[in-house]
Order: sequence, then structure tokens, then C-alpha cells
Amino acid sequence: MGLEQLLPAIAGMTWQHLVMIGVGALLIYLAIAKNYEPTLLLPMGFGAILVNIPLSSALTQIDPATGEAVEGVLNVFFQAGIATEIFPLLIFIAIGAMIDFSPLFRNPSLLLFGAAAQFGIFLTMVFAAMLGYDLREAASIGIIGAADGPTSIVVASRFAPSLLGPISVAAYSYMALVPIIQPPVIRLLTSKRERLIRMGNPSNKQISKKTLILFPIVVTIVAGIIAPSSLSLIGFLMFGNLVRECGVLNKLSLSAQNELASLVTLLLGITIASTMTAERFIRLDTLFIIALGLFAFVFDTFGGVIFAKFLNLFRKEGNKLNPMIGACGISAFPMSARVIHQMGQKEDPFNYLLMPAISANVGGQIGSVVAGGIILTLIPLFA
Amino acid sequence: MMTPIVEKALLIAAIGMTGIFLFMAIFYLLILLLDRLMPFREEKRAEEYIEEYGKEEEEEDL
Repeated sequence: MGLEQLLPAIAGMTWQHLVMIGVGALLIYLAIAKNYEPTLLLPMGFGAILVNIPLSSALTQIDPATGEAVEGVLNVFFQAGIATEIFPLLIFIAIGAMIDFSPLFRNPSLLLFGAAAQFGIFLTMVFAAMLGYDLREAASIGIIGAADGPTSIVVASRFAPSLLGPISVAAYSYMALVPIIQPPVIRLLTSKRERLIRMGNPSNKQISKKTLILFPIVVTIVAGIIAPSSLSLIGFLMFGNLVRECGVLNKLSLSAQNELASLVTLLLGITIASTMTAERFIRLDTLFIIALGLFAFVFDTFGGVIFAKFLNLFRKEGNKLNPMIGACGISAFPMSARVIHQMGQKEDPFNYLLMPAISANVGGQIGSVVAGGIILTLIPLFA
Repeated sequence: MMTPIVEKALLIAAIGMTGIFLFMAIFYLLILLLDRLMPFREEKRAEEYIEEYGKEEEEEDL
């Protein structure tokens, strides 16, 4: 009996498997050493190692003796949790329970930045179509610009499941890299004078409990009437928020924010890794998707900042917006707001942009989900 | 370059961006409406209610 029969995994190992094991190790390194989205990148990294050892029982394999398929646990998780969209939607409940919409009520006009900063999604989609991807794939790649992992997963799993691995890796990696991606783009688009603009005293306006309870209900009804396809995304987000705000489900709200979020993220990460097999991942497509994801994030920032500059054309001196706030219209919360506040303080230590930045960032959380819903509605009509 | 797919993508992008702005504008109006219909009112503490209620009762007794 030869070594190949004793250790068939060694016989089946190719350089592609070794590269993917290296990719898995890199993701684990980034999660632990650099603290880049560790809750997701660590399980994904470990999962990538798990599925790239030849004949891994974590994946469905054909038994050579019987010729029958032996189901692997990760494939079972994939079918149950991602193909059905259950995992990302459960994450939406958790995110909804974490969001406090009060800053948005204090500065409601900043909600519009949550729309402007979705520009990168659509520009990337057009660019991906120019590169030869079909509409469904192009939309799935563009949605990386939502800067919202669960939305990217829902859209990609519906329209381009074969690209789910690289899209998820790109989405979560760039979310972690917001402090590196946004500042140079903002500096390029704004003058020092613009970055020094102060935005008045932060509002301490109190919001009534009834308003905060009614908001998720009314938003769900309105969104459902206008675009029913978006309801699974917006509805679950708003349900989580209602659990938070109702005041009678505090235990459930805390569970959603902690235990539910942690457990589902763990399962989501390791399950997505089941798509990161060497055959699927080591392709030119993966490099294109990762490059296009960066393009999407850059143009999200561009869209938000340019929109703020556009609004300033119509605002009086002394009432102008600091255009850096526009960059907070992406969904990466609260990282983007923190980055902008720090940039503002670097230019002028007495400029406090945190409150308006948080308001725009909350708007971005709604905007990314709306963008996902709109793509889910429009693509089937055109593809 | 301008394949039918790219043309469709451009159309989706135009409709999509308009749609997001429309949604956000509606949400903006909703926020204004909710805030106007249900403004924040300082909630009275339980002791204040008891104090007020007590005074009313005393007045009635007199």
C-alpha cells in the first residue's frame, strides 16, 4: 500500500490548494494581528483552510466505494443559511437592534448623504458590465460598495452565488480598511478651507419614545408599498430596531445585539468559506472583483463628498456643510463617522464633527439597505 | 463598449440612484412628520403625579 493510498489528501494536494490555505492563513493574520473585522474574517480564514484540504469531509464528497454523495456540514449550512438568506437576514435583526436612529432625528437632512454615498455601487455595476460581466454578476459586484456585508451576501447569493466568496472577502476587508481608503480620497476632493468648516453646535434635541417606536413600523410599511422586494432587507432591520425601541423586550434586544449577532456571524463566516475552494477562488475574476470592490468604496466616498459640495453652492456663508461629512453616507458604522471626526480634529482641534458625522452614517446604514432592495427589485426586470 | 448590457446597467444606475434619493426624501419627510406629531415632552416623575393628585383631592375635600 503506497503513501498515496494511506494519505490521499497529500496525493490530491495541488498548488492551488496551497495558495488557498495561504489565503486562509492571511485572513486569520489580518483578523488577529490587525483586528480587521475579526468576527468575520477569522471564521472565513479558518473555513478557507478547512475546505481546501483535498477530500475534506466539511464539503460534500462522492464516496469512492459506494459512489454516493456524502453531505458535508458546510454545504448543509450553505443550503440552509445562505441559499435561503436566513443567516444575513438574522444579522439584520441584530444590526437593527444595535442602531439608534435618534441622531438622524436631530439632523434629518443628513439622511440624504446615505443616498449620495451609494453612487459607487451603481458606477461599479456599469464598469463591471463594461468588463464583460452579465447584469446579475455586475450588480453583485457593485453591491460591495454598499459597505454592508449582509446586504452584499443577500444580493450575491441571489444573483451570482459562484462569486459569493470573493465578494464577501472584498466587502468585509474594505469595510475594515475604511480608515485607509477614505482619507486620501477626501483630501483629494476638498480644500483645506472646506475641511475647516464648522457645522454649528450639535443639537441636543430629545426625541419622544413614541416617535422612535413608530419610525421602524412606518418605514417598513412605506418601503413595502413602494418596493415589496426590498421588504426582507428593510423589514428585518426595522424589526430589530423595534425590538430595541419598544422598551418591553430589553432582554431580547440585548440578546439580538450580542448572542444572536455573534452566533450568526460565526456561522455566516465559516459557511461563506465553503465557496472559497481553490477551483472557484483562484481565477482572474477574483482579482477583478477585489479591484472593483475598492473602486466602489472610492466612488462611494466621491459621491458623498461631491454631493455635500453641491449642496454648499446653495447654502449661505456660515451655514455651509463640511464636505467631509458626505463621506459618512456609507454604511460602515461607526468607523466612517469616527474617521471623519478625526480628520476634522486633525485640521482644527476645536472642530467637533462627530454628531453630524454619526447622523450621516446612520443615514448610510438605511441607504445601503435601500440600495440592496432597489437592486433586488430592478435586476430581475432587466436581466 | 456600449453593449446592450452596459446600456441596461446605465439605465439601472440612473433609476437606482433616483430611487434611493426618492426613498430617502420620503424617509426625511416621515421623520419631520413624526417629530411634529409626537414632539418630546418631559415625562413627569411618579412623585410629581402623586403630589398633584393629592393637592386636587385636598381641594375637593375642602
